[in-house]
Parts: sequence; C-alpha cells; structure tokens
Amino acid sequence: MDLIISLVINGLATGMLIFLLASGLTLIFGLMHVLNFAHGGLFVWGAYAGVFSYAYSGSFIVGIIVAILTGLVFGFITEKLIITPVYGNLVQQILITLGFMLVLQEMIKVVFGPNVVAVKVPELLAGSWQLGDIIIIKYRIFIIFFGFIIFGLLHYMLTRTKIGLIVRAGVMNSDMVQALGINIKRIFLVVFMTGSALAALAGMLFAPYSGAIYAELGMEFAIMAFIVVVIGGMGSFQGSLFAAILVGLAGSFMAYYVPYLSLAVNMIIMVVVLIFRPQGLFTTAKG
Amino acid sequence: MNKPILLSRSNIILFIIVLALVAFPFVMDSRTLTILVTQILIFGILAMSYDILLGYTGIVSFGHAMFFGIGAYCTAIMLSDFESTIGVFIVSIIVGMLIAGILSFIVGLLTLRLKSHFFAMLTMAISGLLLVVAEKWRSVTKGNDGFTFKAPEVFKDRVIFYLVVLALLVIVFIVLKRFVSSPLGRVLIAVRENEQRTKSLGFKTLYYKVIASVVAGVIAALAGSLYAVSLRFVNTSVLTMEITLDALLMTIIGGVGTLIGPLVGSVVIESAQHYLSGLARDFPIFERWIIFFGIIYILAVIFFPKGIVGTIQTKYSQWKIKRNQLDVAPLSKSKESSK
Repeated sequence: MDLIISLVINGLATGMLIFLLASGLTLIFGLMHVLNFAHGGLFVWGAYAGVFSYAYSGSFIVGIIVAILTGLVFGFITEKLIITPVYGNLVQQILITLGFMLVLQEMIKVVFGPNVVAVKVPELLAGSWQLGDIIIIKYRIFIIFFGFIIFGLLHYMLTRTKIGLIVRAGVMNSDMVQALGINIKRIFLVVFMTGSALAALAGMLFAPYSGAIYAELGMEFAIMAFIVVVIGGMGSFQGSLFAAILVGLAGSFMAYYVPYLSLAVNMIIMVVVLIFRPQGLFTTAKG
Repeated sequence: MNKPILLSRSNIILFIIVLALVAFPFVMDSRTLTILVTQILIFGILAMSYDILLGYTGIVSFGHAMFFGIGAYCTAIMLSDFESTIGVFIVSIIVGMLIAGILSFIVGLLTLRLKSHFFAMLTMAISGLLLVVAEKWRSVTKGNDGFTFKAPEVFKDRVIFYLVVLALLVIVFIVLKRFVSSPLGRVLIAVRENEQRTKSLGFKTLYYKVIASVVAGVIAALAGSLYAVSLRFVNTSVLTMEITLDALLMTIIGGVGTLIGPLVGSVVIESAQHYLSGLARDFPIFERWIIFFGIIYILAVIFFPKGIVGTIQTKYSQWKIKRNQLDVAPLSKSKESSK
C-alpha cells in the first residue's frame, strides 16, 4: 500500500509538470493550428534562468518570477520572429520551430555553459513527512498543489472571463471569431506568451525535483508534452490534464514494475491512441 | 523538344561533375578529403531519399533515421557474424533494404492516413520506440557502446569504397529521377500541391503516399549500410533524431523537390560541419556550430523556402522569361507606333 501511494505521488508530480508544459501547447495548437516544437526550448530556458537567479538571489520565489518573465519575453520573441512569418503553412511551421528549438538548446550552452547544473530544493520545501511506513517528499506534494492551483486559475480564466470566452470560441472556430471583429492574432499572442510562461515555470519547478538540469532536457520533455497533447486531444485543456496525469502515472508505475518498458510506455500509448482515435481522447475541437 | 534527353544541357553539366568526382581521388591524394567526400556522398543518398518524402510528396517525417539505422545495423551485424566478404556485404544491403521496405510499408499504412502534424509526431514516436529497443536489446546491438567490425577486404582501399559509393549515388539519382518523372511521381507532386483535389480526381492518395514512403525508406537503408561500412563501427546514434534532422537540413538548405538540391545541401552541411568544428580550436564559439546552422536554417525557411537550387532555378527561369520579353517588346512597341 505504501509503495502504491508513493508511486502515485511520483506519477502525479511528474504529470503536473507535463501538464504545465502541455496546456500551453494544446491551446496554441487549438487556437491557431501552430505546432510549436520550440516549446521544450522555453522549458529549459525557464529552468536555467530561474535556477541561476535563484542561486544568485537565494530566494526561490525570485527564481520562479524570473522564470515566468523569461517565458513571457521568449514567448513574445518566438511568436513575432518565428511563428508570424509562416502562419498557415503547416510544414514550414514544423520545420522552423524545430530549427528554433536547436538554436534555443545550443544558446543555453553558450550562455550558461554546457555542464550539468545541480539544483537544491529550497529549505522550506526540503525533507519529507513520515506517515507510518509512508515517506512523502514535501517538494512533490508542493508540485502537485502548485499544479492544481495553476489548473484552477487557468480553468477560471478560460470559463469565467471574457478573454477565456474568446479563446474557447477561437479554438472552436477561429475564422468566425475573426469575422465577429476580434483580432484573433492579438489573442493568439497572449495565449502564446502565457503558454511559454507556463513552460518556463514548469522548467523552474522541475529543476529542484530532478536535482540537475541540462540543455537536452527540453527535447525530452517536449516529446512527453506532445504525447500528452495527442492523447488528450489537440486544443482540449481538460484533456491535457487527464492525459498528463495518465502519462505521469503510467511512467512511474512502469518504471517500478517493468523498468525496461518505462521509456517506451508513453510512446506505445500515443501510437495506440493515434491509430484508433486520432482526434484524441477528450477532444472538443474539430478533427 | 525532340532533342535526345541525354544531351540536354543540365545532363551534360551533371555528367562533367560526375567525371570530375571520379577523377578527384586520383588527383587529390588526401585521405581525409576522400573520407569527407565519401561521407558527403552517403548523406547525399540519404537526403535524396528524404526529398522524395518532403519535396515530392509534401510529408514531414521525423522517423527517417529508423530506416537508415536498420540498414546500418543489418550490414554491421551480418559483416561481423559472417565472413566479411563482398558477397555478404551485398546480401546485407539487400536484406537491409527489404526489412526497411517492409517496415516502411507497415508504418506508412498505419500513419499516412493521418494529417501532417499527427504523422510527424507518430513517426517521431515510432522511431523513438525503435531507438529504445536498440538500446535495450544489447545482445544484438551492444546498445549505445556499439561495436566495430571488419569491412570487406576490398574496401580497405578508401578510393575503391569511394568509387563504389559514387557509382551507387549515380544509380540512385537516375532511378529516383525516373521515379519522380514517371506518371506515379506526377501523382505524388499532385498530392503535395493539393491532396483533396487529387483525391477527388479519383486517385487513392494513401496508396501513392505509401509507395513514396517505401521508396524513401529503401534508399535510406542503402545509405545506412554504406555509412556503417565507411565507419566500420555502428552504435545507436544511427537511429537518433539527429540523423533525421541532418537529412531534413540538407534537403531544406539545398532545395526541396529538386533531387539535386539535397546533394548540394549535403555538400554544404557536411563540409561546414567539418571545417567549423576544425575552427573551434581557435574560436571556442564554433564548438556550438549548431547555432549557426539553426539560424541559417530558420532564415532559409523564411526567406529561401525553395533552398539554394530551387532559388537558382526560379531566378534562371525568370531571367529567361525576361529575356524573351525583351525580344518581344520592341516589336510590340513598333506596332503601337505604327498605329
């Protein structure tokens, strides 16, 4: 029992981090049909910028804020420089964001150095609780709570505010929203920047969780996020939460019971979903 | 119009280039240069096969490395398990191509019915799966450590291997050229231009796309076999995304949908890689030459989506039209004045 609980906590924490990454990706795709392969690059940039300012200032909160700001700035740059010139051309979008991903990843090595950076958990969140036989690591609980708070905030924004209404309408039919006199591209910029900030935040939260960060991390997590987006259904916000938790749990249980399958399990889930239900499990948007 | 195709101007130029390439190792007696050019030619074959997918059929595959890797592993395993003779080498190439063909057929049937971005991600996932299998199946592949093996005795001489690769490249080029100008190839181009329309004209586009992916996969396996022999070593890096990205970069920078373009791209990228990483000793920034690649690549996608060869072709035909217009212009003017 204690084993299962700690595996569940592991899986939930990983799932939450992937959700932060995937939620931006899924909205960006749903709104403008842009498949952003550079999303993983923003994840590492958030991690590095946050960790370095955390080490410099000694405050974890400063690190988080810097990570979010980095995400916003990079999101703005990416949207203006990389996405805008190739609107509407799917193949070119895939190609160009992939190229930008390479640049972002190598820039990390130039700016912060190519070595693996060790990260410590902030003191307040370090250590663990012991309940009977179960050891619960505090930082994982923190990530799970943080993830749910972000989910709640985003959910509130999407369902209760005007911009959320526009975004949801845009996911369903962006041409119609444009025809009703709303500048969908400006909305898209906002969504893109938010998504990038979430990715950067996920990177920053991930750093103490794993204890070490390196430049290639972005690609690995981006692939996870893509898998989640596909499973959850592109453009479906709730779908990405369910799929992220599913992927996180599957990963943590497989890593314990069938370790040699743990790397492959997510890919297998995605292949099965794509072949039998290519629109995703929870999709609301048109296929 | 009735000119024999063999004697057209571009074919004569190509012929001269091939002759120069044949003469090259005898004129320049440099081992490193021969190896570099061999590498360029091998990646040229790979990039051409990718061009069939990206340039002619208009599908972005992120799983091309798996066919390349299958070819490389087939040759490596067979050469190390059996005698390393020419016969085994040829059989291993054929086996690699067969396996790649069957796999690309199955993968194509499963994935090509999806839209482009789903297809891209699914191919990425399947080739990721294959990479994981290769990493874990250590008894056969030796995982990431890889293994060395003996190349056939004849290939000890780098020049002979170079000539074999060159001959194969020429054959592949001619075969692919015939393939894309055949009626089947025309349908592929139609799929690239407008799949819906092609479908409504009565073509089963899935069927044509699967054929394209099988052809590309088979040729990629051939490139993989040659690559393994040229290194006399193989490890799981032949299955990684980087191989796919290399092929992608070469095709984009050289020019999609031209077949010559990927070859030019291979020359540009392989030699840049060679010389830039050589420069790294003096300028540390060049250790990160991928940045320059990334930037050039982004600029190429935005400003030269047709690549080097494509841009030259467009400029050339524009110039031709302009020249013809100039010939016509005075006539029309004189007509005006006579009115």
